[in-house]
Amino acid sequence: MKKLLLAFMALFTFTLSAQYESLSSSSFWDKTEFKIGYSGTIFWSNGLTVGAEYVWKEYDKTKERRGTERTNTHQFLFNGNLGFATNFASKTDTGAFTNFGITWRRTNKKGKQFSIEINPLGYYRSFLPETFEVNGDNVDKVFLPGRGYYAPSLSIGIGRQRKGKVRSGSYFNINYSPRFNYNAGTLPTFSLQYGFRFNFKNKK
Amino acid sequence: MKNKYRLLIKSTLVLISILSLVSCSNEGNLNDLNETIFVRHKNADMPAYIKGNASEKVFLITLHGGPGGFGLGFVGTAFSKIEENYGVVYFDQRGSGLSQGSYSNEDISLDLMVEDVLALVKVMKLKFGNDSRFFLLGHSWGGTLGTATLLKDQSDFSGWIEVDGANNPSGLYDQYIETFTSTANTQIALGNSLEFWEWVLTSVAEVDPVSNKDDFFKLNSMSFELEATLQKDNFLNNPDNGSESDGIIFQYNLLTAFWNLSQIQYILVDEQCLFQTLDFTNQLPEITVPSLFISGEYDMVVPAVSAQRAFDNIGSDIKELRIFERSGHSPIASEPERFAEEVLRFMNENK
Repeated sequence: MKKLLLAFMALFTFTLSAQYESLSSSSFWDKTEFKIGYSGTIFWSNGLTVGAEYVWKEYDKTKERRGTERTNTHQFLFNGNLGFATNFASKTDTGAFTNFGITWRRTNKKGKQFSIEINPLGYYRSFLPETFEVNGDNVDKVFLPGRGYYAPSLSIGIGRQRKGKVRSGSYFNINYSPRFNYNAGTLPTFSLQYGFRFNFKNKK
Repeated sequence: MKNKYRLLIKSTLVLISILSLVSCSNEGNLNDLNETIFVRHKNADMPAYIKGNASEKVFLITLHGGPGGFGLGFVGTAFSKIEENYGVVYFDQRGSGLSQGSYSNEDISLDLMVEDVLALVKVMKLKFGNDSRFFLLGHSWGGTLGTATLLKDQSDFSGWIEVDGANNPSGLYDQYIETFTSTANTQIALGNSLEFWEWVLTSVAEVDPVSNKDDFFKLNSMSFELEATLQKDNFLNNPDNGSESDGIIFQYNLLTAFWNLSQIQYILVDEQCLFQTLDFTNQLPEITVPSLFISGEYDMVVPAVSAQRAFDNIGSDIKELRIFERSGHSPIASEPERFAEEVLRFMNENK
């Protein structure tokens, strides 16, 4: 069993290294995609996110299903986002966020994608309207009022790849991002993300 | 090419004009205020929505129910009328609505929330001048918080309006048992919703006569069912007619607001057991500002007997009690015209 496992691992490493070889031959810009999209809850917050993804590892995996071979591409990507969202009906729910982490993405031959994005490094900064701080009998106006929260995130989504095109894909994610410490606990927040990815090395 | 540039410049100008119009607000106009400010106090940022006509610098500061309700939950027919005459401050209390901050469960106390209200008054004075005058209005839990605020410092308030206020939360347990039983017996005698009222009598008989948390929550949740049945049998006006809750749905992120509600209720009601321990009855004589008590005759959540006892014990020389015959726990919404009339009259007489 151990031998089998070792053999499997060796094969896996070989396969991966073969794949990475071809990947490593591509330039930084070949492996980098930029993205821009909507981020928000539709009802209570609406905003924009911009971000970038860099392919770290990529390999093909072939499976046999119903007598036919299916090959999917699996990628691990470094991922970073910067966004802003506000509630246009009030001035009480405006904030900017940034997060960084890693994305696992599977792409089938038709270009359909499924991804899981984990961003352990995340920060949310709320922006408040006119704010006054009260200390005893002193009342002072606060400069650039708001609060910062540690806000990691987890997104699960689907998408579509457009191979060789400048607009290289689209995505739709459901995002969960807790805010620590919010009041006396941890605020769970959910949002939707829809947008497009761009690879400017592509020529079409 | 020139035409393209002209078109671009024209489009930009039109866009700027539209955005300017859209961004116009009533900020700075005392006759028609519509501002949102935040009060930062002891690690919490709490929104205060200031609306209405503050030309006389008379403000009605409102304290919502809950704990954990929404400041803007008062908005509706009654408060639109009040806003025509006076400034109204809708306040999301600590850990409620869209208040935010960072503190521990142990930091939260009724006393701290009282200080938050007094901090709001200090901010209002800085913003609108020391000659501003304030009335305090508390609904339900807001009645608890308002009473505690006045007991700490009533010097800044021209009057107190308690609406279905829980000034004696620890007494609610016995009041539930008495009120549910008497209401059920009356309704059974009238032949209304017999099955339901029989169930009420059976349920009340099953609770421990000694106050305890589990039975308190059981009775508290039953109280809403009782009011719903009374409304179905046409003893109460429909409170939806006078509220504008649909309008505030988009102003509050409901996921955030309900998470806040569950947290603050857990801390104050479950952990600190405020509803089992608080009773201000013996301290009410210390409150001497003009006071108006309003209660729905069929209020099952904070029975009208609470208002009667507060009225009997308050130390104010000027005090009034108004029982709204077609209301339960929300006379603001179920009898909005009468509510606005009573509040405006009281404010006019005591400002």
